[in-house]
Amino acid sequence: MLPILLTVLLFIVLVVCIGFAVLFFVARKDALFFKRSLTMKNQRHDTVITDKITLSKNQLETTFDAITDFICALDENLIITRVNKSYSQFVQIPIPKLLGQHCYEVFWKRSSPCEHCPALLTFANSKPVHKRTFKMPGKDRPLFFTIASYPVFGSDGKTTNVIEHIRDSTEEKAILEQLIRSEKLASIGTMTAGIAHEMINPLSGIAGTAANMLQMPEKYGLNEKGVSRVMTMLESSSRASAIVKDLLHLSRKEEGTSMLIDINSLVLKAIDSVQLKGFPIIEHKINTDPTIGRVLCDPIKIEQIIINLLTNAIQSILEKKAAYSREGKQFSGLVLIATQSQDGHVRIDIMDNGTGVPEAIKDKIFDPFFTTRPPGEGTGLGLSICQKIVDEHNGRIFFESAENFTTFSVLLPFHTTQEEELHA
Amino acid sequence: MHSILIVDDEAGIRNMLLDYLESKYAVTTAEDAESALSLCDNKNFDLVISDVNMPGMKGPDLLSKIKKMHPSTCTVLITAYNVDDYIRLARKSNVSNIIPKTSPFNFAELDSLISGLLTKNIFGLKRYMLPQYTHLGEFCIRSSRDAKEVREACVDLLLSKLGVAGDMRLLVDEIVTNAIYHAPSFPDGTEKYEEFTEVNLEPHEYVYLECGFDPEKYGLTVVDNMGRLTKDTVLYKIERQMSGEGVLDDSGRGLHMSRLFSDRMIINIEPKIKTEVILINYFSHKYRGYKPLYINEL
Repeated sequence: MLPILLTVLLFIVLVVCIGFAVLFFVARKDALFFKRSLTMKNQRHDTVITDKITLSKNQLETTFDAITDFICALDENLIITRVNKSYSQFVQIPIPKLLGQHCYEVFWKRSSPCEHCPALLTFANSKPVHKRTFKMPGKDRPLFFTIASYPVFGSDGKTTNVIEHIRDSTEEKAILEQLIRSEKLASIGTMTAGIAHEMINPLSGIAGTAANMLQMPEKYGLNEKGVSRVMTMLESSSRASAIVKDLLHLSRKEEGTSMLIDINSLVLKAIDSVQLKGFPIIEHKINTDPTIGRVLCDPIKIEQIIINLLTNAIQSILEKKAAYSREGKQFSGLVLIATQSQDGHVRIDIMDNGTGVPEAIKDKIFDPFFTTRPPGEGTGLGLSICQKIVDEHNGRIFFESAENFTTFSVLLPFHTTQEEELHA
Repeated sequence: MHSILIVDDEAGIRNMLLDYLESKYAVTTAEDAESALSLCDNKNFDLVISDVNMPGMKGPDLLSKIKKMHPSTCTVLITAYNVDDYIRLARKSNVSNIIPKTSPFNFAELDSLISGLLTKNIFGLKRYMLPQYTHLGEFCIRSSRDAKEVREACVDLLLSKLGVAGDMRLLVDEIVTNAIYHAPSFPDGTEKYEEFTEVNLEPHEYVYLECGFDPEKYGLTVVDNMGRLTKDTVLYKIERQMSGEGVLDDSGRGLHMSRLFSDRMIINIEPKIKTEVILINYFSHKYRGYKPLYINEL
């Protein structure tokens, strides 16, 4: 009986052992499989993240390059570590060559950092610097740049890089200056209108009384000397009146008259009205486009513009002629007057080969009281009046002065009837 | 001797006018409207010249008051401001002559205006020119066909004798058109002839035109023998065109353009007898200032 029991027991032990062995084997296989599947999943996850990073890097780089302002990343030695396309285009150096260079060398053409460098300040205090304006000599006018810098923090919380943002604000500055100037002018204008009117009254009295005194000197007990002094008074008051009248034109939005007028006829009329010594002997050519339409405008004011521009053209020719003859040289002046249509506007061009507009005064010629002529010859208000009249007509006045020719152009919008507007 | 009252707060202007006028007229001056009114209480002035802007009562109100007290008094405004701004006001206060304060002052013009108002002798181009007036030519228009020929002949005359004609071709056209088509009427007041049609005027409807010059200006006059235009109509039409109401229609366009494109437009009216439109241009712009308003109605 005992041997049978032992055999059964042994058999049971054997079966249990085999079972454990099988179990162990299976479990191990399972664990391996599990582990492998986990790795694969991780790998897939990594790929997705890498893709996302690449995409966002590309997006950032494209954005970086698409920005027309200049952007660069600098290290603490002001060496460029990243830079956008606009920056590279502006300094005319390809991006790979810019990397590793000092920003002050490539952008500002200096051998040392600029004074008040925003990037250095950001490195020093880890705070952004906003909008600092820097000036750079340009080809024909100074350029202005507005610069901001922002810190990039490393894992230790220290500023490792600075992003510098440079914007070309030359145009903006010019517009701003013009705005300030025109706002000042507007307030001066209101004041001037009041003053001018108050001056007409006494001036008219002075001039009239002076005229009476010259007419009836014995009534006022005037001798010859007195008469000559009163004559001077009359002339002075007359000159003052001329300035006052011009000022009124400039400062007051006169209740003008609007009429549909053929600009060509105004041009011809203006040419006839120019009363300037020496004008008849200057060659002038008129080239009007007969098909240009009519313009709704104040004919007297527009004629005044043309007369003003023509007078300027002729005077500049006469000045050049005088200068040439002092040097014993010959000079023949030429004035070209043309009209044409251009983009829904009538364009009037008045071109002369006179002295031209020097670079230095180009910005100032439309300013009131700006004149290059000696006192007594013109009030310096002509072009500012032209500008004002053109503004009132929603037009534009501009000029171009090249080596031999100066052209002043006036654009006035065409008149369109309601019917034509519907068709347009 | 006619009596004139001058009212202006600006002593320079007061004295200037006094000095100039006192040899021909009995002149009194006042520096404000209140003292002017008290002067008028005791006296009926033949003519009152008043500044527009004065402290206290303004010129137009003063002249209205004086006109109520003495309807026969002639009234004239004078101003340093833009005459065009006062056309509405002028119509309201029944003043039709406004003199601008120019520098130098245009005394010759003042003379012809004042003597015209005081003597009721207002017609004729010569009255408004200097004594050295030269008569250039005169024309008679009896039909619409004549109108064109006369216009051209007149402009040619100016160009050949003086070398300038300004915008007279355009303006003569406008004024003569008015005289032919808008002056003759039926007894019920409707216009007799339709604009731009061929018209032969009746003998008494003829239009007269004269041109001439003096050392500082040239001018022409167009006279119809109907006298249909009134001072009020002229002021209304000019004001309407100036405010932009009439930009795209023709009513009053001729009168407005004539005032705009000539240096002086003088209108003289004797109701139902004749209407005269005088247009004058200066050879050079000596008198700096605004354009006056001259409309005389007997």
